[in-house]
Amino acid sequence: MKKIVSLAFSFLFVMTATIAQNSGKKQIKGHTDQNKFRQLKDVLPTPNNRRTASGAPGFEYTQQKVDYKMDIVLDEKTNRIFGNESITYKNNSKDYLEYLWVQLDQNMRSPDSKTPLANSEKLGNTPYNGPKTFIKNNILKPADFGFKIEEVNNVNGNQLSYTVNRTMMRINLPQPLTPGGTFQFNIKWNYLINNSVTDGGRSGFELFEDGNKNYTIAQFFPRLAVYDNVEGWQNMQFWGRSEWALEFGDYDVKITVPADHIVDATGELLNEKKVLSKEQLKRFEKAKTSFIDPVFIVTQEEAEIAEKERSKKTKTWHFNAKNVRDFAFASSRKYIWDAMAVNINGKTVMAVSLYPKEGNPLWEEHSTRVVANTLEEYSKMTFDYPYSKAISVHADRQGMEYPMICFNYGRPNPDGSYSERTKRGMIGVITHEVGHNFFPMIVNSDERQWTWMDEGINSFVEILAELDYDPNFITGNLPKDIVGYMSINQNNLSPIMSQGDYVKNFGPNAYTKPAAGLYMLRQTIMGPELFDYAFRTYSQRWMFKHPSPADFFRTMEDASAMDLDWFWRGWFYTTDYNDIALKEVKKFYLTDQPTDEAKKMAKRYSMDLADYEGKLVYFKEEQKGAVNDGLIASEIPLIKDHIASMSDEEKSLLKEIPNYFYEVTFEKPGGLVMPLIVELEYNDGTKERHNYPAQIWRYNDNEVSKVFKTTKEIKKITIDPDLETADIDTSNNSWPKKDNSKFDKFRKKLKG
Amino acid sequence: MKKIAILFLLFTLAFSSHKYYLSLTQIEYNKDQDSLEVIINVFMDDIEFAINKEYSVDLRLTTKQELEDVDSYFQKYLRKNLRFLVNKELVNYNFIGKEYEGDLVYFYLEVNVSDSPVSLEVYNTILVTYFEQQQNIIKFKNGSDRQSKILSKNTNKALLKF
Repeated sequence: MKKIVSLAFSFLFVMTATIAQNSGKKQIKGHTDQNKFRQLKDVLPTPNNRRTASGAPGFEYTQQKVDYKMDIVLDEKTNRIFGNESITYKNNSKDYLEYLWVQLDQNMRSPDSKTPLANSEKLGNTPYNGPKTFIKNNILKPADFGFKIEEVNNVNGNQLSYTVNRTMMRINLPQPLTPGGTFQFNIKWNYLINNSVTDGGRSGFELFEDGNKNYTIAQFFPRLAVYDNVEGWQNMQFWGRSEWALEFGDYDVKITVPADHIVDATGELLNEKKVLSKEQLKRFEKAKTSFIDPVFIVTQEEAEIAEKERSKKTKTWHFNAKNVRDFAFASSRKYIWDAMAVNINGKTVMAVSLYPKEGNPLWEEHSTRVVANTLEEYSKMTFDYPYSKAISVHADRQGMEYPMICFNYGRPNPDGSYSERTKRGMIGVITHEVGHNFFPMIVNSDERQWTWMDEGINSFVEILAELDYDPNFITGNLPKDIVGYMSINQNNLSPIMSQGDYVKNFGPNAYTKPAAGLYMLRQTIMGPELFDYAFRTYSQRWMFKHPSPADFFRTMEDASAMDLDWFWRGWFYTTDYNDIALKEVKKFYLTDQPTDEAKKMAKRYSMDLADYEGKLVYFKEEQKGAVNDGLIASEIPLIKDHIASMSDEEKSLLKEIPNYFYEVTFEKPGGLVMPLIVELEYNDGTKERHNYPAQIWRYNDNEVSKVFKTTKEIKKITIDPDLETADIDTSNNSWPKKDNSKFDKFRKKLKG
Repeated sequence: MKKIAILFLLFTLAFSSHKYYLSLTQIEYNKDQDSLEVIINVFMDDIEFAINKEYSVDLRLTTKQELEDVDSYFQKYLRKNLRFLVNKELVNYNFIGKEYEGDLVYFYLEVNVSDSPVSLEVYNTILVTYFEQQQNIIKFKNGSDRQSKILSKNTNKALLKF
């Protein structure tokens, strides 16, 4: 040890001398800590008693509670919703609140919306129009969408002062709401429902040729914004993309619809005896014990009869939901309705589907089964699904999630045929949207701010659920699937840690990249055991609470003893990509003759190698064309004799003697640090895998070397052979370079 | 305004179908054969959507009802949207075939070049008419030399040097 210290000192002295000599010529600039493994202290918020350094809610963590009591009327003729709600707001914070903010999402499509104004336009991009589109885009007046607020009153019926700023409404409280206090008020409103197929949107209706409609309704009522110690009031406007931040609460909702509609919604149906027929009730009871196949509550035959009629009467469906962050419902006379029971750790949960005949035969075959599978798989990765049901509603072109209910696409051709892709898309979207019950409906992150916290984390668990449903499923969310995106022009990339409204290439940025990253973290960096415990810890800590990104990053490290700051920093905070390359392979052999390198080294230390004859063995680099005078290690007397002199105990500690020595240099054209996975293939066809942690790059971010000492000759070396690390250029990943091109392979295939 | 309509449509799809709009054209110069070996991959859904719109057909790729002359539509579409100029002269190419792999379609083309190529210009407008965000990556390999360009709606030509 002492020798090393003195060497280091003399090195330091030489360095100082060099710098001193150069001074006056060129200033050598210093730098701050730019190491890829530096901690995230400059980026993450300072922990406090509400959010701890371990990533858990602290002892002073609070969150608000908002309860809603609503009467809703859906008028099918005019496509309007009329609503009347009583809101009870409980201030659990220690703060006095002068006002409350209420979200008015329908205003995003009102005629004075700023969303279209904030979009760049060009006529040149659409050189032609059909007559319908031409009229719609150039002549048609904008529809009168948006909330019509009729009344905002306190409990005594007196008008409250309020101010609307586009999609946000401030309720100006008569006096500040005290810590622990409750404020109750009423809002009455109505609005015109958009056609979600032609107007777009996450809520709305689809119009069928016979005039029937499929209503998939959400964001239909004024909802409280989140107040917390991270954002204050989360009242960033709803521009149409970045979704919601919502408080938990209890809902009591009465929905009045045409009497021949079937309705399902967030929460428990309280008056099933009033709204369902005896036969339907009987079938529903049967479904509660059917764990293998779905049971029809409304058959296709019955739905086809129902959709021919138009009832003039109405029916009121009464739902009650506890501890949910939102409420949505679906209503149509076209619905086929099936359900089955799912066993979640001993508790029965219902998997339910609603779909028009247009969804068959695909939907009766897969929808409810996929719901059931999703609940099972997600529960394994997080916590037991706490709600009583999960509904998948068929909707053209929608894929949208709400507590206990979601709207999903996947429609066969009119003749009932469908491609594998349609089926895969439908299974994928149902898994995804049902999965959203966990993220963000229960692990309730701020969607307005961080799309990846629900979309990315959900897309990650979705991979595991889909592969469980079908091991050959093309998930599209694996590390290899994000390579294309990560190699595009830097101008078109945003870090994952960006607010959703300005993210470029939204899909791969907020869904695929975080999902692929977490998959990589689980499979390659942490291993499933450590990852799953930490991931479950995060899910359970923040179940029914509001986590922030730091809470996720911190919990994953705190529960696993893995420092992942380098991974979060690279993958989430930058647009860097991974590219690791094989730069050079040097082969060495053993000889008893001093090599040039050995001679040089000896000279430096004033040694005479002649004194060491027969006492040293030398590593000599193999040169092309030069004579290989290499010796086999086991036959070199020096080594052979030394081994022979060892005790049996010492010998038992020895491995087989290597004969081949390779010095392999890896370089890293990519900016990310990643584990280095190296596969060696020997001449006899056997393979060996070496995994080096990302920390191998901690001293030198550009280049590292490894020595492989093997008993067999290496035929081939490959970096990341299973495409685990999203390396964007695999053409520099092997030695010798790949010869058989994809083009030649295809040509051979054609020739058969 | 149509753009807004298209944007909304894309938004709707983006909620769950987390996809991006990208194609990759890999070109390798084969000196011995005096040819360029070209492999293009595109998302199957996107190319099917574009061709169905463009030629008013229903390809139904990878189903039993897939059109028999599907290759002729692929060729037609590629001839319109992909061109190669070697030494500033437009050159022909052979459509060797196509291959389906997961969500992707691979096209294999062979371009004949003169024995002393200097420049290669690639004109690529694949899918840009239908997808605002479409990006077409061009990768060119000539021995150990590698070049790459990213094309989009606004930039549809790449100039590469041998």
